[in-house]
Amino acid sequence: MTTRLVLKKLIDAVVLLAMVLVFNFFLFRVVDHDPLAKYRGHSKLSQAQRTAIIKRFGLDGSKWEQFVRFVDRTLHGDFGRSFNSTRPVVSEILDRLPNTLLLVGISTVLTIAIGIRIGIRAGWQRGGRFDRISTPFSMALYGTPEFFLGMLFLAFLGAKLGWFPTGGVTNPAAHYTGFSAIVDRARHLVLPVATLTLGYLGSYSLVMRTSMLDTLREDYLTTARAKGLRDRDVMRRHAVPNALLPSVSLIAIGFGFIIGGAITTETVFSYPGLGLATYQAIGNTDLPMMQALFMFSSVAVIVFNIFADVVLTFLDPRIRVGA
Amino acid sequence: MVGLALMTLFVAMALLAPVFANRSELQAAAGRNNPNLHAPNGKFWLGTDEIGRNVFALVMWGARVSLYIGLLATVVAVVIGSVLGLIAGYARGWVSRVMLAIDDFFLVLPFIPLAIVLALLLGRSPTIMALVIGGTFWAGGSRLIRAQVLSLRERGYVERATALGASSRHIIMRHVLPGVAPLIIANASLIVPGAILAESTLAFLGLGDRFSPSWGKVLEGAQASGALTLNAWWYYLPPGLCIIGIVLAFTLVGNALERIFDPRLGDR
Amino acid sequence: MSDPLLVVRDLHVTYRSSRGPVPAVRGVSLHLDRGETLGLAGESGSGKSSMAMALLRLVPVGTTITGSVTLAGEDVLAMKPGRLRAVRWAEAAVVFQGAQHVLNPVHRIRRQIQEAIDTHRGNGKVADLLEQVGIPRWRSDAYPHELSGGQKQRVMIAMALACDPELLIADEPTTALDVMVQAQVLQLLADLQRDRGLAMIFITHDLSVLSTVADRLAVMYAGRLVETGPAKEMLRGARHPYTKALAAAFPTIGDQSSRLAPSGLAGDPPDPMAVPSGCPFHPRCPIATEECAATMVELHEISPGWEAACLKL
Repeated sequence: MTTRLVLKKLIDAVVLLAMVLVFNFFLFRVVDHDPLAKYRGHSKLSQAQRTAIIKRFGLDGSKWEQFVRFVDRTLHGDFGRSFNSTRPVVSEILDRLPNTLLLVGISTVLTIAIGIRIGIRAGWQRGGRFDRISTPFSMALYGTPEFFLGMLFLAFLGAKLGWFPTGGVTNPAAHYTGFSAIVDRARHLVLPVATLTLGYLGSYSLVMRTSMLDTLREDYLTTARAKGLRDRDVMRRHAVPNALLPSVSLIAIGFGFIIGGAITTETVFSYPGLGLATYQAIGNTDLPMMQALFMFSSVAVIVFNIFADVVLTFLDPRIRVGA
Repeated sequence: MVGLALMTLFVAMALLAPVFANRSELQAAAGRNNPNLHAPNGKFWLGTDEIGRNVFALVMWGARVSLYIGLLATVVAVVIGSVLGLIAGYARGWVSRVMLAIDDFFLVLPFIPLAIVLALLLGRSPTIMALVIGGTFWAGGSRLIRAQVLSLRERGYVERATALGASSRHIIMRHVLPGVAPLIIANASLIVPGAILAESTLAFLGLGDRFSPSWGKVLEGAQASGALTLNAWWYYLPPGLCIIGIVLAFTLVGNALERIFDPRLGDR
Repeated sequence: MSDPLLVVRDLHVTYRSSRGPVPAVRGVSLHLDRGETLGLAGESGSGKSSMAMALLRLVPVGTTITGSVTLAGEDVLAMKPGRLRAVRWAEAAVVFQGAQHVLNPVHRIRRQIQEAIDTHRGNGKVADLLEQVGIPRWRSDAYPHELSGGQKQRVMIAMALACDPELLIADEPTTALDVMVQAQVLQLLADLQRDRGLAMIFITHDLSVLSTVADRLAVMYAGRLVETGPAKEMLRGARHPYTKALAAAFPTIGDQSSRLAPSGLAGDPPDPMAVPSGCPFHPRCPIATEECAATMVELHEISPGWEAACLKL
């Protein structure tokens, strides 16, 4: 049963990915009538140059031919060349991917782990001391744009106090090797990770708190208490497993927002990852780059959502057996 | 209550901006004779930016731009979300499935990258920004409304009305819409803060109008001009705190509305 | 053995709400011998469940309970939390209205029953317990949603028996089950009670259900007892006008039509925050006089072992 369910989720995801592909194509070709209007200095190009460029970016032929070619190229990982650097978009992306994976990976794990814990504790003792402190704190974090948080970190912990570097991934002036290189790298990660983690901590803990409050009304918690369980066990064994279920899909959707947060966070700290590349692509109106980045982030979010769906299948017996 | 007070404050700021600062103060030329990145004093209550513009004027006018975009985007999102949600909840068969697939698609797509792409292609004026944000922000609301319509349908009186020969249009207008209206209002007040945050993010990334700057755009200027390392707190703290304040204001009011309209949530 | 298993004296339960304190139970005294079954009846909102849950202090945070509850010689209301947890389920277990959500949906039933045994270091076997309530052993791996309402109720009963309690509090155990299943569950409870010598408090709004199980009846209205006496005699001829009306509302076990339209009981039970003066039943009572609205009436003996709170008796 489980296998069939996972298979169904995979098919859903493939459909979703196909929709992304079609959407992407139309977004970039139909909206824009003159494919070269956004190309820098396009007015100075000769007719031959125009044709060459149009061909290079796959913009010649009928829309249908373009679409077939677009799908074919995309599936082969060919996103064309960056308007800006003229290097293949794929190599631009692959160069920066590890930095972003590190930042987003650490931050996502931290946000989810800490946010869920705060939410559980606040919801379990609603109105208690922890709740009265943590919930306004979560609300404030929710209201704070992560880039503003990053700016504050940069200004105070970076520039003013000098505790952490204010940008980049390594210190280019010092040629560290071995262990000190790792320390240097980690020091550059502290502020961006703190920014991205805190930026989304608030919404995760609020979601989990609400879910916990809903669960507290359930009859099976009274059963568990009547059985003579300690409060802690009632919470851990009965309340939390149920409260987690509705949060899983919300957490997955929230991942899309973390990706958005990575763009501004990397921008604030000049952290050379895909987010900074996005910022630069905006500045240069670099459409091929932007198209690939959009595609890439969509795929990442969809994959993360499938993962969450599969996790949910294992957490909730009602889905697993009932479906 | 705190939420309502804060909300009033920001709305007043937006309305009274022209009283406190002339619109021309936003132009690049306005700061030509002023000191650049100057600390607050009697003349410039919040100092000046890197081209000598009065930060106080930027912040006051920023309230206008941020609120305008936030509210217009919300209207767009609520209209799209309500219409699609009503159809998805009311229709059966493939129409409902297709609507659900579209909804899923927009719910899952990473919002900021999508909005960036759209803004990049469509332009950067405040109205276009609002349309872009509204046009990508409706999926959650439409799902909520669909669920509500489905539960209204289960209660049977829609079935009865159908049996009595009422048209779909009549049923939606007379029976379904009144049932979902409170939900739409509560949902709207929770979309506003999201839309304002989204706008500030996009503006911060450079997708805004430089001469009718929102708070996010002011922050972009602060970041780009090196105000952070130069310790020019008057430049970046006020707009940032304003964003936090307005988001909290709308969130608090939205939560309160939700509690009023949905008594089940009463003891949260 | 001569001491009663349970003695409740002047029990008050007051909930906290946003509108102020809600007195759900307003001075109930009763006792229960070992092996005896007391049927506790009343409409919803009469305070019968609140009373029963207060016996094990299973009430929301902020609720005040006063009076005394003595279970097997120990004062439950004075117990430290650790002792209270030890008493819960091991001495007194609860059969909740199991058709709905009293079982945790994410755990297998085996685990949920085993948890009760482990908490109290008992030595019951899950499979044996399930067999006693008529569920095949192999079903122990099932999740609650895979079971029917009647099966869930049986699992709930098996779980209640897991630690061999002396007292079973059955809170509307047959409500929400269909008629056939109701009768089966009722029979199961009656058999178990007899075989194990359990004392039982059986709570219901349906008097007719009690004829098969109860030795004595206690009827509650607006947080107080209005009549208590031997079950057989009371079911044959109730004396208090409220009990009469309640009996008329449910002529036969599980009669669905009469459940939907209870005859002879017009009006709603009073809001616990605005209980009428005098006898709280007087606004709905067919034989009430002006005196009833003015005089608060206590339970008094009307024949040996039979008490009622009514001025007319």
